[in-house]
Amino acid sequence: MSELAVRTTGLTKYFGGAAAVDHLTLSVPRGCIYGLLGRNGAGKTTAIKLMLGLLHPTAGSSELLGCDSRRLTPEVRGRIGYVTEGHRLPRWMTIAALARFQRAFFPARWDEGLFGEMLDYFRLSAGRKVRRLSNGQRAQVSLAVAMAPDPDLLIMDDPTLGLDVVIRRQFLEGMIQLIQRRGKTILFSSHILGDVERVADRIAIIERGALRADCSLNEFRSAVRKVRLAVPDGMPDEVDIPGLLHSRRGESELELTLVGVSDGQVEAWADQVGAARCKPVSMTLEDQFIEFTSPGDGRLFEWEGE
Amino acid sequence: MALWIEISPGSHEPIYGQIVSQVDRAIAMGELLPGDRLPAVRKLAAELVINPNTVARAYMVLDEQGLVVSKTGSGTFVADPAMADRDAAELNALSERIDGIIARAMNMGLAAREITRLFAARLKAFTGRRQGGQKDE
Repeated sequence: MSELAVRTTGLTKYFGGAAAVDHLTLSVPRGCIYGLLGRNGAGKTTAIKLMLGLLHPTAGSSELLGCDSRRLTPEVRGRIGYVTEGHRLPRWMTIAALARFQRAFFPARWDEGLFGEMLDYFRLSAGRKVRRLSNGQRAQVSLAVAMAPDPDLLIMDDPTLGLDVVIRRQFLEGMIQLIQRRGKTILFSSHILGDVERVADRIAIIERGALRADCSLNEFRSAVRKVRLAVPDGMPDEVDIPGLLHSRRGESELELTLVGVSDGQVEAWADQVGAARCKPVSMTLEDQFIEFTSPGDGRLFEWEGE
Repeated sequence: MALWIEISPGSHEPIYGQIVSQVDRAIAMGELLPGDRLPAVRKLAAELVINPNTVARAYMVLDEQGLVVSKTGSGTFVADPAMADRDAAELNALSERIDGIIARAMNMGLAAREITRLFAARLKAFTGRRQGGQKDE
């Protein structure tokens, strides 16, 4: 059995002349929560649809649970849960009818007891029509539908977008509950970095369809950092540290945002240009994400952890 | 034992580091005592709504710092510097049994001083007997 829940190799999708997903190669180990990050329009939804075989790639390939995404067997599909962006559900159905409809796709796995418990917890009666539900309630139904088949791989496209804090927290609780069971894997995309920081083991950052980072959250937290150097003898003409994301020049201070650069490397460079010892500046995950994805004077490059 | 851990995402400190520093502080303040059991990884992860690996990592760091002792199968316990090489799980079990005896003595109406006296007397009798026994051999 493959140790990877998801693997994409050079996955590429063009819409017209533009690449929405551009040679995306990433892998999601089994048993982890994997956060797919990127700004709006970065290609997260397209990448997810390609993985699920809902779109056909222009080039490259992808596999879910060891099975080619273009030819997912009913058996493999039955082990995958998918929560769409915006929680689109058939509006004309009642919750009970939706459950019957969904259950047909997961005959052996659907846990009606769990589904009922989740509805009770959300205080939703099965007779309600989907179109009469609020956005938040629709999201709750969509979470219950995704959890009831006890999926081995749960894929969620920006599941907490636009939800209030209580329902957002319920999604996170559901994710933690699922991942506590052996061999489960979750891939989700999100804009809410606080949620990502809570639950993700690994993250990928996608920009303009291409992979910019693929590493554990902790590696990213320690790899992207900011240092301040005092430059009493004048600014160096050029900052040529490999791993430079941004540099900002003050009166007699130079602030550098770096990725994957050791203290030793910074100090060696500082000595070379006559700058004084560096002062680290602490960063939140949000600071790090913004610095990493905003255009700067450093070149764009990929950060790949261990 | 009282342990309230609060974590805030979006902080400068990573979440596992927040757990480490709060447990560290609770031990320093005497809120957590040697032999106290930390919540199980899965339980704390569910309570705080964070990835279980983050809790496991925090416990690993605390273990490396010698603040706690992890015993496979029985849990993670606050380390006792004086008994660093003893088995934390067994000490914990022992403490619980002593607590049970104290509760029973108090229910019988014994005062703390009487319990101490009784315990000292039994201990003396026991060690005397054991030494006597050893002499016989």
